[in-house]
Amino acid sequence: MERIITRFVNALRERGIRVSPGESIDAVHALALGGVGGRESVRALLRLTLVKNVNDIPAFEEVFDRFFSTRQDSLGLDPMDLLGAMIHIVEGEQLKADAHKQRREDEGPLLVTDEEVTADELKDLLALEETEGETAGAEIMVKLDGFREKKQSPPSDFYMKSPPTVAFHQGVNKSAAAVPFTPEELADIQEVVSRMLVRIRKDVRRMKEMENRGKLHVIRTIQKNYRHGMVPFLLSLRRKRKEKPRLVVLCDVSYSVSHATRFMLLLLHTLQNRLMHVRSFIFNRDLAEITAMLRNMPVNCLLETIDRGEIVNLDDNSDYGNVFLAFKKKHLENMRGKPAIIIMGDARNNYNEANEWALEEIREKAGYMLWLTPDERETWQRGDCLIDLYGAYCDRVEVVRDVDELSRMVEDLFYTLYDHHDTRTWRQARHRPKTEEPYDYRTYYTRKGGAAPAFDPDVRRQW
Amino acid sequence: MITEQEVEDLLRSGGYIADESISTAVFLALRMEKPILIEGPPGVGKTGLAKTLSQVMDFPLVRLQCYEGIDEGKALYDWEYGKQLLYTQLLRTQLDNYLSASVDLRAAVERLSAEESLFFSQNFLVQRPILRSFLSDKRSLLLIDEIDRSGDEFEALLLECLSDFQVSIPELGVIEARTRPLVILTSNGTRMISDALRRRCLFLYIGYPEFEREVSIVCARFPELCETLARQMVDFVRKVRELNLRKAPSVSETLDWAQVLSILHTSRLTPEVVANTVGTIAKHQADMQQVNELAAQVFR
Repeated sequence: MERIITRFVNALRERGIRVSPGESIDAVHALALGGVGGRESVRALLRLTLVKNVNDIPAFEEVFDRFFSTRQDSLGLDPMDLLGAMIHIVEGEQLKADAHKQRREDEGPLLVTDEEVTADELKDLLALEETEGETAGAEIMVKLDGFREKKQSPPSDFYMKSPPTVAFHQGVNKSAAAVPFTPEELADIQEVVSRMLVRIRKDVRRMKEMENRGKLHVIRTIQKNYRHGMVPFLLSLRRKRKEKPRLVVLCDVSYSVSHATRFMLLLLHTLQNRLMHVRSFIFNRDLAEITAMLRNMPVNCLLETIDRGEIVNLDDNSDYGNVFLAFKKKHLENMRGKPAIIIMGDARNNYNEANEWALEEIREKAGYMLWLTPDERETWQRGDCLIDLYGAYCDRVEVVRDVDELSRMVEDLFYTLYDHHDTRTWRQARHRPKTEEPYDYRTYYTRKGGAAPAFDPDVRRQW
Repeated sequence: MITEQEVEDLLRSGGYIADESISTAVFLALRMEKPILIEGPPGVGKTGLAKTLSQVMDFPLVRLQCYEGIDEGKALYDWEYGKQLLYTQLLRTQLDNYLSASVDLRAAVERLSAEESLFFSQNFLVQRPILRSFLSDKRSLLLIDEIDRSGDEFEALLLECLSDFQVSIPELGVIEARTRPLVILTSNGTRMISDALRRRCLFLYIGYPEFEREVSIVCARFPELCETLARQMVDFVRKVRELNLRKAPSVSETLDWAQVLSILHTSRLTPEVVANTVGTIAKHQADMQQVNELAAQVFR
């Protein structure tokens, strides 16, 4: 029985269900206790002991049905016939496998020679580069192998420990931008975000503890220790800061960046009111606030509404100058505190008025300004991209390509915000060493090499 | 020793209709002395299973409701500072006498520290649910409810308790369980429980029951309800679950509804009846409308 269970566990692992040795021992114990009564009872026993996750249950059922298949009974065939057929099949498989192997061997050198021929024919530099060395050929072979393997048996992702990342261009590949997230995508993103939240929470707790080391709150300490006869066993200290950091996000939703923006919106949806006060805006030609909608609507619903163009008209071209002007006029007055502002967009202004002075005024009111763009740095100089102009007013301009990068950016920002309010905290002292010379952000783009150092409020005050 | 069938019958006698996997889980938990981790949507009878079990098996129920920020002081044990202080105050004269024999301060401190264990003894220990269930003379049932509401630290705290049935108290040492309780953990799945905890438990997922089982649950709880109505009701509730509601009705909602219908002496469902009693199965304004529309369609 142990052997059967081990084989079954192996089958489960092949399918991607994580089963520890301890669990398989449990399963054997359980079977010894419960007895092999019937198919359903064994199924229940194994499911209880081997599967520890709801999402794995369907996979388990499938493997169980395949592994303990009842084909023999249901077909009512003669066992000997079946054996003959089995042998036949096995022989056939073997023949096929041999042929396969043969073909693969034939194909291997053929592919490489092909490459060499093209290299000879085309004296083009690019082609030479492509076929340089044998690595390219080998790589193709490996890929082909992988593909063949996949066809025969599904690859096990048991060892796939790296966290799932969702690249932005997944959204582009889909024909229509209006397709809402699939459940798997949602789950992946949720996982990335929740992992980030766990990390942030831990640090926030630590930071709060550090904050707590303030003056003694005498009254609260006495109240707390009333039952100990006023002997101060439990101390209560004055909190220094009670407010969550404030964040204002402006998202471009035009077609050129919509795929990246969707992830941003989803991230905001999760962050909303958990750790910070977030006010979210979307814009194309016009600006619209979606804070309340983010809070009340399911995210897919909201995305659909946006894609239908009910909030801002999507047929227009994006006009950053107009948006900054509108933001300055309508919303800048009632921004409380000194919020951090994130602008998400490619800064392609479609040759409209730039109005960078509006952005400068917004910058005056903000505690921190971050520009996130999905475009690569090389394309910044091309066409109608105004990121150089706008970037001069931002504390940081970053390229984000996938969800991981985006969440890392937001996490980083979060730490900056938490530090920002205190004059000097341990984190700043440890992780953000002061640069020798005050960095001049006006030469950010003209200077060669190296990213700008992290924003330091003290430095900013100097110039 | 108890068998699987007996578990099912016992549960049935307590008014809990279990399916194969539930009764197997309980049976295994009893025999292997492992905790059960139950996951599932709210209202399918996760806590109900624990309650019924404690009733029919005659295990005293020790319940620990988890919440954000729960710690060992609330779950395992705590020292009674107040009592310790009070005793020190009251015993001051005895202490004076006791210490007067020592010549200098050093001797006095040594003498006192020899008696230190007196102040950190079981006398001053407040037993919180987990320790209480470990130290009870009779086998008890420890229900750790809604574990997903607590934090990671608390989960880590549970690991030692659940795998070895012991509690380590720095001042006293390791306290082993006198009787190993039957442990049931429930979770609504709002947060992923760590794999370490999952590995120590039998994992049981309770979903919405099949049609026949749900009918028999309703009939067992409300025998006065005629079976055709019960069938009609359950059928309708199952259709409601397929709607895209904000809060899908669960078994507890079905039972609530059955109770309301039996109080009203309803004999068959009509759109009017549903409209009057919709509050029992739909819990949001928008949901109510959808349910009413469905009722108008189904019971034309």
